[in-house]
Amino acid sequence: MSTRDDLLARVRAAVIHAAPAPEPFEPAHRRSDFAAFAAQLAAAGGEGIGPLAGAALRECVADLCRRFAPAERVLASDAALLRLGTGPWQPIPSDSTPHALADVAVAILCGSMAVAENGAVGLDGREARPRALPVICERLVLLLETRRIVPDMHAALAQLPDGALAHHHFTFVAGPSKTADIEGELVLGAHGPRGLTVIGIDG
Amino acid sequence: MSAALDRRAAELLPAGERLTAHDAAVFALRVKRDAAARTEPDFERLREQARAIKAHALDHLDVYLERFEARAQAAGARVHFAADAADLQRITLELLAAKSARRVVKSKSMLTEECRLNPHLERHGIEVVDTDLGERIVQLGGEPPSHIIMPAIHRTRADIGALFEREMGSAPGDTDPGRLTAAARRDLRARFLAADAAITGANFAVAESGTLVIVTNEGNADLGMALAPLHIACLGIEKVIPGVADLAVFLRLLARSATGQPISAYTSLVTGPRAGAELHVILVDNGRTRLLANQRHRSALACIRCGACLNTCPVYRRAGGHAYGWAVPGPIGAVLAPALTAGDELRSLPFASTLCGSCSAVCPVKIDLHDQLVAWRGSDSPRAPSARRAARWAARVLERPALYRLAGRVTRALWPLLERRFAANPANAWLAARELPEHPGASFRARFRRRARPEDTP
Repeated sequence: MSTRDDLLARVRAAVIHAAPAPEPFEPAHRRSDFAAFAAQLAAAGGEGIGPLAGAALRECVADLCRRFAPAERVLASDAALLRLGTGPWQPIPSDSTPHALADVAVAILCGSMAVAENGAVGLDGREARPRALPVICERLVLLLETRRIVPDMHAALAQLPDGALAHHHFTFVAGPSKTADIEGELVLGAHGPRGLTVIGIDG
Repeated sequence: MSAALDRRAAELLPAGERLTAHDAAVFALRVKRDAAARTEPDFERLREQARAIKAHALDHLDVYLERFEARAQAAGARVHFAADAADLQRITLELLAAKSARRVVKSKSMLTEECRLNPHLERHGIEVVDTDLGERIVQLGGEPPSHIIMPAIHRTRADIGALFEREMGSAPGDTDPGRLTAAARRDLRARFLAADAAITGANFAVAESGTLVIVTNEGNADLGMALAPLHIACLGIEKVIPGVADLAVFLRLLARSATGQPISAYTSLVTGPRAGAELHVILVDNGRTRLLANQRHRSALACIRCGACLNTCPVYRRAGGHAYGWAVPGPIGAVLAPALTAGDELRSLPFASTLCGSCSAVCPVKIDLHDQLVAWRGSDSPRAPSARRAARWAARVLERPALYRLAGRVTRALWPLLERRFAANPANAWLAARELPEHPGASFRARFRRRARPEDTP
């Protein structure tokens, strides 16, 4: 028998299929508005702005770019460009290898959902392309429709976008990259973005 | 008592500043965990739900393993099975060799520590770089992690400053965590960009969708998987959970129990490979099926490696993780080690506990840790005949009040002799870690008779 069959045979010999699956979990009711989400995001070291729309949205993002990347490279996804129009950002080159992104100062992407209980934004693999972009940039800006905010992780995983688990990855991002490995002291920007800004969009 | 653990602890964490710093850093995590548990109204019900899901998943592990395998392969991953550490080492090396991969970036995986994967790969000319900051610190220092989520928690900022100065050319005397982290970030970014392969663990594997769930705060696993053309994920077979809905329960508990965060910074659901890259999943037994068959101890396989039982354990906080002599320290390590390792060396670990029960009280999946420690003590742990003889003598004395009183008088009279014996025995680790109490002056019975009565006090 193969290693696989041997291993599965040992598992089969050890179990009796008796312990039942529990009933689905019923979470306590909680808020799912932008303010509740933004409070958790702030606790995770990120920043929530908005909700904004139209020219105010474009001006806010342009401001962030001027602040964080006065002369460096800013890339925006197609979905973000649709929201923002023209500004100090460029579309993501369709042929860019992950390694060609090492000098990106700001990446602007659209989150597909957010979770009020923990400040996490769900980033779909179809939006975060190349895969490296949201982790290799110095600062990440995510645009988020406020109606996409769900109260908790139960709702988030129940309402994953169609196909979210068929396209390599779906990532919940809660604040910037962080570490506390030196004497427990919190440091932002361990490997990935040093800052995360989520801008709520009405609609 | 585990004398071996006492001796190692005395070497690694001598009393003093370093011990105080370790104790404080570890207990700070416990305090944060408590605050998170108190403010989350669902917390206690989540623990019960998590326990029930794991009990079900483990008792149907054959079904869920095969389902995970089928769905992950349908999504384009290759799934391998490893019977033991040697199997894991061999498969990983073959996968790397097939792609001529020589430079590997690795994110945290306690399983690969347990299976000693790094030294094996290094012996075969592979450069393995641990990318979690804490793991990088202990890797550069040539030592194993001492905590499952804070690998370098036994190191002070001064230690790390000196290490980084030597290994990365950081500024002499710089001990600022922000600047030291920045130095490591620069050094590791270049290694990420040059890597031929990324090795990760996985926190959960979802059978329903064939999805791996990989959780970090640093984003190091994500950066590794996003850049390298080959991703190898190594996980124990017990990591498989039934469905995506179950995942919510564990994700809500994991970070709250570990660091008090409501969720970690990066939670990646990985289904199949990135376009143009390969994903291999290695499911490892290494003693787990033996533990699955052990009804008394099976629930230890439910562990989600949050570290909460370490942070609250008075023995762990005093001894440090290295004292346990195994990849997973603390109460969960003491429960798993006798089951997952061959030989008797780690059989004494269940004795390294005060049985205070704090570990069981904080465990997010409600493993009855301290009861399991007692069970290991009673089952097949070797017990010295001298200990049994001593217990028989003690029973004889305790049965006879007159003999007991006499023994007390003799002990009080011989006190100075005892004190000298304690002081003169630095070689005896058990005695060295303990202090004789002050001479009581008289027996408890005598003092009780002389006590101030409640009605006498104003």
